[in-house]
Amino acid sequence: MSARRAFITGLGIVSPAGRGCAQVLQSLQAGTIGLGPLTLFAPSSKGAYPVGEVVDWAPDATVPRTHALALEAATQALADDGRPPEAIVLGATTGGLPLTEQLLREGVRDPARYCRHGTGTVATYLAERLGCTGPVYTVSTACSSGALALKIALELIRSGQVSRVLAGGADALCRLTYFGFGMLQLIDPSGARPFHRDRAGMSVGEAAAMLLLQAADLPPPGAQAELLGGGFTCDAYHPAAPHPEGRGAQRAMEAALADARVGPRAVSYVNLHGTGTPDNDAAEARAIHQLFGSPLPPLSSSKDAFSHSLAASGAVEAVISTLALVNGLVPATPSCQQPDPDLGIEPVLRAKPADLELVLSNSFGFGGNNVSLVFGRPDRKAPARAAPAAVKKLAVLGSACITGAGHTAASLVGLKQGTSLGGVCPLAEVTAGLPARQLRRMKRLPKLATALGSRCCAEAEWAPPPAAIFVGTAYGSLSETADFLDALDDSQQEFASPTDFVGSVHNAVAGQLAIRFQATGANLTATGEDDAFEQALFLAGQFLPSQEGLGLVLGVDEAHPLLTPLVDPNALADRPADGGGALLVGLAEERAVATLAPIFFAASATEPEQVDSLLAALGGSERIKERFAAVLVGMPISRRSAARPQLARFLAASEFDGPVIDYRQFTGEFATAAAIASVLAVALVGEGLLPSGLSGRADLALAGKGILLLGLGASLSAIEVCA
Amino acid sequence: MDKLVQELKEKIIATLDLVDLKSTDIGDHDPLVGGELGLDSIDVLEMVILLEKEYGVLIDSKELGVEVFQTITTLAEHVQKNRPQVSA
Repeated sequence: MSARRAFITGLGIVSPAGRGCAQVLQSLQAGTIGLGPLTLFAPSSKGAYPVGEVVDWAPDATVPRTHALALEAATQALADDGRPPEAIVLGATTGGLPLTEQLLREGVRDPARYCRHGTGTVATYLAERLGCTGPVYTVSTACSSGALALKIALELIRSGQVSRVLAGGADALCRLTYFGFGMLQLIDPSGARPFHRDRAGMSVGEAAAMLLLQAADLPPPGAQAELLGGGFTCDAYHPAAPHPEGRGAQRAMEAALADARVGPRAVSYVNLHGTGTPDNDAAEARAIHQLFGSPLPPLSSSKDAFSHSLAASGAVEAVISTLALVNGLVPATPSCQQPDPDLGIEPVLRAKPADLELVLSNSFGFGGNNVSLVFGRPDRKAPARAAPAAVKKLAVLGSACITGAGHTAASLVGLKQGTSLGGVCPLAEVTAGLPARQLRRMKRLPKLATALGSRCCAEAEWAPPPAAIFVGTAYGSLSETADFLDALDDSQQEFASPTDFVGSVHNAVAGQLAIRFQATGANLTATGEDDAFEQALFLAGQFLPSQEGLGLVLGVDEAHPLLTPLVDPNALADRPADGGGALLVGLAEERAVATLAPIFFAASATEPEQVDSLLAALGGSERIKERFAAVLVGMPISRRSAARPQLARFLAASEFDGPVIDYRQFTGEFATAAAIASVLAVALVGEGLLPSGLSGRADLALAGKGILLLGLGASLSAIEVCA
Repeated sequence: MDKLVQELKEKIIATLDLVDLKSTDIGDHDPLVGGELGLDSIDVLEMVILLEKEYGVLIDSKELGVEVFQTITTLAEHVQKNRPQVSA
C-alpha cells in the first residue's frame, strides 16, 4: 500500500505579530517586530525585558490562557473545513500553568479550580469543543513540541489511521518561563537578535498555531502546502545547552530531508530555530554549514518578530513556512542588522519575493530534543512511498516498575498476596544501588525515572542500551515546578534555582535518560491526562520501526504533597500514590519475555460506539475469548461514571467471562498507573499464572493465553500482552 | 580569606547537591568548572545566584563569570573585593 500524502488545508495562528494569517502575512511583509512590554504579571524589581505577548485580545477568562489561545487558532484552522478533526496532536509545555500560578499565589486550594492544569488538558479541551472523538495526543518536548506534533500527525496520516488531523502547538506566557529563562541568563534585554554579532539571548513569548492536515493522493481543494517530511533526534548531551557542533540538529535536518526524499540542494528557504542565544545560534550555524556546504539557501529566524513561543514556536513557524510557500515570500530576521561574522550566517534582512519550492523549518529544545520539518508546494510531484508499517507488536526484552510496595520483585510479591501496592515509595529505596553523583540535581520524578530506566535495562543486560526514548508523564516534574515558584515568591521574584527551571520541563526526564544511555534517536514525551503512558506506548509503536535499535518506553508520575491533590482529579489526598513502569522494547521477538501490542487508542470517548470500535480492533468476541485469560482494566476514580458503562458494554459484547481486574485498586490512583499495570502484566504472562491474590479466584494458569489491558474513562485504549 | 574560602566551599556543596564531596575535596587551585568536580553551565548559574543572594555580588556577563569561577580562590577574592562594605 502506498502512503497517503499530508496536505495542509487549514491554518490558524494567534501570535504577538498578528492573529490570523492575513495579519501575520502583513507582519512578515512589513518586518514588524511583535515584542513589547510585559503586562500579564509583575516583573522583578531588577527590571523587565521585552516579551512577545498577544495583545488587543480578550480571551475567554473561564479557561487558562493557553487553552484560549489554542482554541482560537484551532477555530481559524477549521474555518473552511467545518468538520471535526479525526485526531488532534498538540505540543504544549505550560498548559494550565498561567492560571495555576495565579491560584497558588492567591492561596486557592480548591482542586476544581485546577482542573485544566495539565498540559494534556489543552488538547482534550480542543477535542471537547471541536467534537473530535479520535486519538488525541499531547507531546511536550520543550521548544520543539509544536514541530514534533506535526511530525506525529504526518505519520498518523501516512499510515492511513486518520484522514484529517489538527496539529500544532500552544503556550501562554507565564511566570515559570519568563523568570526561568531570566535565571538562565538567556534573555536579551534589548529584544532577541538572532545571529546578530551582539546577540545576548532570546525573547520569551506566547502563541498558538494549528494546522489542518488532510490525507490525499493528490492535492485536495484548498491545499496550501504539503508536509513532506520530518525528523527528530536527541543530542543526549546536556539538559539545556545544545551540542556545540549542532550534531543532533544536523541529524534532525538530515532525517527530515531523507523522510521527504529530497536533498539539501532542493531546499529554497530555511526557517531557522534561531533563538538569539549565543550558544543556540552558534550550534545551529555549524549544523547548517555542515549540511549545506556552500552556497547556503536563503535563511532567517522568526524569533525576533514573533518572540520565542516555546511549544508553539514550531507550529508558528510551520504556518510561516506555509505562508512563505503560498505567497512566494522569504521571511526576514529584521533585527539582524550586523550578522555575527564568526557564524557565517546572514539571515535575510527584509522580506523578499521568491519562487519557493521547499522550506525546511528547525525547532530545537531543552532535553536536546531536535525536530526539523520539510514543507513543499502542493503541486510538487511527490515520489511514491510505501505506507509506514504501523507496528502491531513490540517485543518486551526487559521491564521494571516502582510502586508503593517498592521495586518490581516486591511489587509482584504484594500482588500475589493481594495486598495493595498503592503508595509512595521512599526515595532512599527508589534510588538504592544508584551512584549518588548520578542523582545530583534530581528531585522525585527524575529519580523515579532514572531508577526505572536503569533497572529495566539491567534486566536485559545482554541487550544493547536503548536508542530511542518514549516517556509518558501526565504532570511532569511537580517538585521542581513547585520549588521554583516558591523561591520566586519568597524572593520578590529575584531568585529561583536555574536547576529547578531546567528540571521542570516535562521532557527533562527523557533528556536525562537519553544522556544516561547515549540514546540519540527518537525522543519524545507524551503528557496526556490519565493516558500519558498509553500515548507514549502508541507513539513508540509508530516510530520504533523507523529507528535503529531498541526503545525504552516509560510511564512515570510523582505524588507531590501540595500540587498532586490539586491538579490530578484522581489523586486521593489521604492515599497518595506514585511510581511507574518501564519497558525495553524492540521488534525482534527472540529473547523477548512477552510481547505487547498497542491495538486501539481513541480519546474523548463520549460515544458508546467507541467501545464497539475497540472490540472490532481486537478482532471481536471470539478472538478476545480465545486469546485472553484476564482483563486488567484502568478506571480512574474521577471517570468511573463514564468507565462503568464502557466496561459493561465491552463485557456484554465480548462475552468475556474470565477475571476482570480493576487495577487501580492495586496500583493506587495516579496518572500513569497503566505503566505499572503493563509491567505486572508482562511479568504474569512470563510466569504463565494469574495469582489468586489478584483475581480473587483460584490461581489461574494462563495456558498460553495473554492479558488484555483496557484503559477506560475519558479515553479508550486496548493493549495486548501475550507470551 | 581562608574563612571565606571554607564558607564558599560549604555553600557550593550544599547548593549544588554535591553529596559525594567534602570541602577538602575542592582544592584551592583546582578548576571549578569543567574539571574533576563535574560542574557545568547550570552549576555556574546556581553559583551566580548564590553570590548575589548571599553576598550581594553580581556576575552579569559570561566573560566575568569565566574569570571569577576559575578556582575557589579566584571566587573568594572576587567576593572579598566586591561585596558591599557594611559601614560601621
